[in-house]
Amino acid sequence: MRNRFLTRVTVAGIVTCLAAAVTLVTAQTPGYRAPRAPDGKPNLNGIWQAINTANYDIEAHSAAQSPVLEMGATGAVPAGLGVVEGGTLPYTPEALKKRNENRANRLKLDPEVKCYLPGVPRGTYMPFPFQIIQSQKHIMLVHEYAGAVRTIYMADQTEAPADSWMGWSNGRWEGETLVVDTKGFNDLSWFDRSGNFHSDALHVVERISARSADTLNYEATVEDPKVFTRPWKMSMPLYRRVEPNAQILEFRCVEFVEDLLYGHLRKQPSQ
Amino acid sequence: MRAKLVVVIACAAMLLAVGQARAHHAFAAEFDVNKPLTLKGSLIKWEMVNPHSWFHVAVKEPDGKVTEWLIEGGSPNQLIRMGVTKNTVPIGTELTIEGYRAKDGGLKAVGRNFVLPDGSRLFLGGSAPGGTPAEKK
Amino acid sequence: MNRRSLVSIGALVLGVAVLLSASVVAQVPAPLAAKRAPAAKVPAPTGKPYTPPKTPDGQPDLQGFWTNSTYVPLERPQGVTKEIYTPAEAEAAIKAAAEREAEQTEPGTTADVHYDFSQFGLDRSQSKFAASLRTSLIVDPPDGKIPALNAQGQKRGAERAAARKAAGGPYDSVQNMPIGSRCIIMGGSGPPMMNAGYNANYQIVQSPGYVMILTEMIHDARIIPLDNRPQAAQGVRQWVGVSRGRWEGNTLVVETTNFNGKNAFRGASENLKVTERFTRIADDMIDYKFTVEDPATWDRSWTAEAPLAKTEGPIFEFACHETNYGISNILAGARAEEKAKAEQAKKGSN
Repeated sequence: MRNRFLTRVTVAGIVTCLAAAVTLVTAQTPGYRAPRAPDGKPNLNGIWQAINTANYDIEAHSAAQSPVLEMGATGAVPAGLGVVEGGTLPYTPEALKKRNENRANRLKLDPEVKCYLPGVPRGTYMPFPFQIIQSQKHIMLVHEYAGAVRTIYMADQTEAPADSWMGWSNGRWEGETLVVDTKGFNDLSWFDRSGNFHSDALHVVERISARSADTLNYEATVEDPKVFTRPWKMSMPLYRRVEPNAQILEFRCVEFVEDLLYGHLRKQPSQ
Repeated sequence: MRAKLVVVIACAAMLLAVGQARAHHAFAAEFDVNKPLTLKGSLIKWEMVNPHSWFHVAVKEPDGKVTEWLIEGGSPNQLIRMGVTKNTVPIGTELTIEGYRAKDGGLKAVGRNFVLPDGSRLFLGGSAPGGTPAEKK
Repeated sequence: MNRRSLVSIGALVLGVAVLLSASVVAQVPAPLAAKRAPAAKVPAPTGKPYTPPKTPDGQPDLQGFWTNSTYVPLERPQGVTKEIYTPAEAEAAIKAAAEREAEQTEPGTTADVHYDFSQFGLDRSQSKFAASLRTSLIVDPPDGKIPALNAQGQKRGAERAAARKAAGGPYDSVQNMPIGSRCIIMGGSGPPMMNAGYNANYQIVQSPGYVMILTEMIHDARIIPLDNRPQAAQGVRQWVGVSRGRWEGNTLVVETTNFNGKNAFRGASENLKVTERFTRIADDMIDYKFTVEDPATWDRSWTAEAPLAKTEGPIFEFACHETNYGISNILAGARAEEKAKAEQAKKGSN
């Protein structure tokens, strides 16, 4: 029917425009320069949090039903404009198949369900705050979710000795921007709850800079030749938690998932 | 409805005091003291993970079939501080593993000794014990 | 801190000691053979107060990698009455403990069902540890022992024991297993921060208004604010409590309350309060003292001194729960044994 076709074209057009607009959303307040940290570097210290639905799905997506019936609307998926520049992730054909299998089985396979560490850059946009603790030799990222920690080595830099969930990060300043180069990932984390994934060849370069007194610009360039046909980029603002006495609290979720993981191995009462 | 019990194991607190590492009884629950074994195989992969690392070893059975065994080893973190990386033990390294088999019947064991072809033990193990009686302390 | 206690600390602390492993390193893969532990270091005891360097924002600098690995037990051993060993006695105690650790276990015994710690560098003697002449970490009460539980503490202990019993066998469910085995939290986090046995390492990083202490096992980052903010509301309860810090001269004083009561430090209740004091007393040493208070458990507070010695990084990610295969192996093993026993019983009754 003609109307349905027009609607589809219109929706596609709007989504494309909005996806392109993602790159403009993070424009800096002209001329904003962060206060200096005591060592003279831009001061990125603080408690920060993303406000978007990237953790549900980093690509543009509509609202959807909860995968868990009993949760009703509390488990439903909110819509998102997407944080991936260009809109669609450039998977190889085999990787796209795997992504779709992941998505179809996400309750079983999503590492977040099991309280596993979030990986990078997912940790940045989990719906939990994280704190940047900036010193000269090390910049620490401490996440409320699962107490995940990232050490960014600003000095004494080496290669990753072994694979890890949060990778091995070497950082440097480029003017006002903190550039974080991370490798040494295992292949176990996902980018979101929708099955978007990577291999152990993952290489992420993040660029973080002050956008205003209480916001940061955050960009991550993702490269993984085993999964994607080319590098791709995501970007989003990060918001300072400005309430007085804001602090990272405990989300020690292992306890919350033990019955899920090990309940089937519990001793059953004897017949 | 299963009541959730908060069970505090005091012995864990005591073990933590003297060294959480010495939780032998938990290992004796995972692996069978009555099932000692010696495996000879080649390294497929050393999973440098915590709380215990795992060596994936290709073992040739007497009938010629090759099976993959998972052998439990220690945390890699101190070794990493001493310069060990994921490239230190090459894939294909021949290993003799003396240990105990898993209680759940799987192709799993704990590696009491990881012995290289020259008789030395992996990493900081020095010579394999149980050679001459004089070596036993 | 007064001059007298500084002198006594100086006299007590032997400094950072490393006992070289007796293992042969020649046949080990090259990277390990090339790296040798540094020689033992004994700073001269000094009455002079040490002035720590400052961070760029003016805090006394505690940054770096530190270990609380030690051979000194929390409580004074049975049969020991003195507070301080002579240097010879302390050396002998360390040597004996190090030899015990390095002992090869007897095949066929329960103790043998384990990887050899020394292969993986996990014996205390294979990395830095904070040496001390003390016979116990506890310095108050003077007998070096945790005070007796009061009536409330005993009652709680009995209730917990009853709950443990009611929960069944140690491998009936994951919830019956030790908290550390479950990868929830380990003793190095505290507070107070206790010797974890191995990987007993910390990384301290400071930024304006904060001190962060990262405990290696289990990647626990405690972020301590220094801005005199109020303590968190009673409704917020954490495994590590909630910490508030302030500088008193060169000493970082950290008060922690709001524990969730599930960690039961030596039988304590959720009303536990821990006060820690960190003072850098040398380039390679932080004096770490902690005082434990819980009127619902003890009728008096008790205090311990457990120095932190400078050590090497890095702290590699200790992702524990993610690859905690031992839990399912142990539970599956216990179920397999029960099944086998049940089948044997059936056969026997036929």
